[in-house]
Amino acid sequence: MKEKSQTRRELLKRGAALAVAAPYVITARSQETLIVNTQGGEYQELVERVVIRPFEKKFGVKVIHDATGTASQDYAKIRAARGAPGFDVAGLLTPPEVILGVKEGLLEKLTEREVPNLKYLWDKAWQVIPGGSGAPHTLQYAALVYNKEKLDRPRSWADYWEPQKRYGDKIKGHVINYNPANLLSVYALIHGAQLGGGGVDNMDPAWARLKSQKPYVGVVVTGSAEAVPHFENGQVWISPYWSGRSGYYIDRGLPFEMLIPQEGVIGLFDVACVPVGAKNKKLAYEFLNWRLDKDIQRQWALAYFTSPTRSDVADLPAKFAATQIVTKEQMAKTQFPDSDVIGARRKDWTLKWQEIMA
Amino acid sequence: MALLLVFFVVPNALLLSTSFLKSEAQQLTGELTLENYGFLFGKSIYQQAFLRTFVVGVCVGMLTVVLGYPLAYFLVRTKSRWKGVLIALSLAPLLASVVVRTYGWYIILNRFGVANDLFLTLGIINERIAFMPSTGAIIIGLAHALLPYTVLTIMGSLNGINPNLEQAAMSLGASRTRTFFHVVLPLSLPGIAGGFILAFSIAISAYATPAILGGPATQVMATAIYGFMTQLLDWSIGAALAVVLIVSSLLLLYAASRIGAKQAAI
Repeated sequence: MKEKSQTRRELLKRGAALAVAAPYVITARSQETLIVNTQGGEYQELVERVVIRPFEKKFGVKVIHDATGTASQDYAKIRAARGAPGFDVAGLLTPPEVILGVKEGLLEKLTEREVPNLKYLWDKAWQVIPGGSGAPHTLQYAALVYNKEKLDRPRSWADYWEPQKRYGDKIKGHVINYNPANLLSVYALIHGAQLGGGGVDNMDPAWARLKSQKPYVGVVVTGSAEAVPHFENGQVWISPYWSGRSGYYIDRGLPFEMLIPQEGVIGLFDVACVPVGAKNKKLAYEFLNWRLDKDIQRQWALAYFTSPTRSDVADLPAKFAATQIVTKEQMAKTQFPDSDVIGARRKDWTLKWQEIMA
Repeated sequence: MALLLVFFVVPNALLLSTSFLKSEAQQLTGELTLENYGFLFGKSIYQQAFLRTFVVGVCVGMLTVVLGYPLAYFLVRTKSRWKGVLIALSLAPLLASVVVRTYGWYIILNRFGVANDLFLTLGIINERIAFMPSTGAIIIGLAHALLPYTVLTIMGSLNGINPNLEQAAMSLGASRTRTFFHVVLPLSLPGIAGGFILAFSIAISAYATPAILGGPATQVMATAIYGFMTQLLDWSIGAALAVVLIVSSLLLLYAASRIGAKQAAI
């Protein structure tokens, strides 16, 4: 009898405990988790507010945002971990890493079945990266920025590469240069080569300009985020800079202006990919599709001062659209050098850059 | 032993094997080659990085010993009731991250920094000087970061010297200076050597301080390895650089320990 009553009491206890714990057990089991890698700085707050939190809300999932590393560092992680770097979405790769990832078989191939919104992308996207190798979600370009309190408005990339000719000795120490490990530097060097009749196949004119610019360079960095304090403290007056970040900081009071020089600009697609060893691929594809959702594309473009990668986002403010790549004409004017060639020659270019700048 | 095998020998063996693989357009191929080493030894930029690494290591080692020895001596011999506080204060820099301390030097040394402002105000210079990026700036930053390690090592050695030996020397007529140079200094040589080797070893493999104060144009081996591994994604040359750094530093440390052992025997 005693034994029976004890069993009943235990059963009641267990039942009560289960009743109290049940909601948590169910939540823990039902709430899927997705790990998304992008980058820190101003990007982190923006992407969490505009893209990640609304995604969590809509799909009832939890996103862990890994905001560390640059595109090449993130790809190095993917390679070192043989496709299982610990994040499900590599949210911010650039074309050279995507092309390498496809060659090395470390990135999932996407189709419209997994990511239906791929069908709305600019055709140009698939000329820059192999078709279906990722979801290009942001389009921006390497603009020319200058401190409008210190300098007259530049007109040409020559004003950056030969600043002494336009601005004289007062520019000494106020020019910034970037290591070619950063695509921004590569694009600026290509413009430098083009000024002398060269290009990706002949960079000699760029090296001649780098040598003549060197005495006027006051700051040398690798990452574009590292340049921001130098813009803010007045040390740097002229720089090539990503249009997105430029717009963001100018909007927040930086006394700079961004412009498209007369020779034009080189465009950059930021791409989100799924590593082959990602744990939650289904949700990762859903996230990529969300990143290309029309409304999210519009909100993201306005928040980060970049262009949508969908060709059907037409209702952007006219003044904003004038500085972006949103029409066929603007797209046609934008250069997209072969990223495969850039990837293959970057080591030699970096070496040459180091020899000159050392 | 097993831990050493798993966490040191195996990774280094992988690194060594990668350094002999050919890399094409950022991809490792299975082809064996000596080209990676040929590339490194044939380019003056990497010869300079190699030389700069060891110049930085030696200068930082010497600077921390020269600056750290008097401090360690004072901290060991002081009779002040604040001795504990003084020791804590001298080790306090270790509480701040090396990145934070290095950015402190960045603020002081950059072209528009505190040092330039001060020298201009005092009329020592007429126009701003770029103190950084430079090898000198890397040495200053690392010496500051590593000084507490050398002080601790030398203090350990000085603490082990029997005070009666100094009293005996002085009671036999030796001056304070002579006692120091003929008794204290020779007996503290193992501490000096230990402090130097510790600072040297950390300095030649340091990344953060050379990256910030040297920038991408003033490379040392660690920043060059990082560049090849994570920026240019050329792992075979990155691995070859790492092998050169490991082998050369092991050889130097072996030589230093042999010299130290000979000194101790004398």
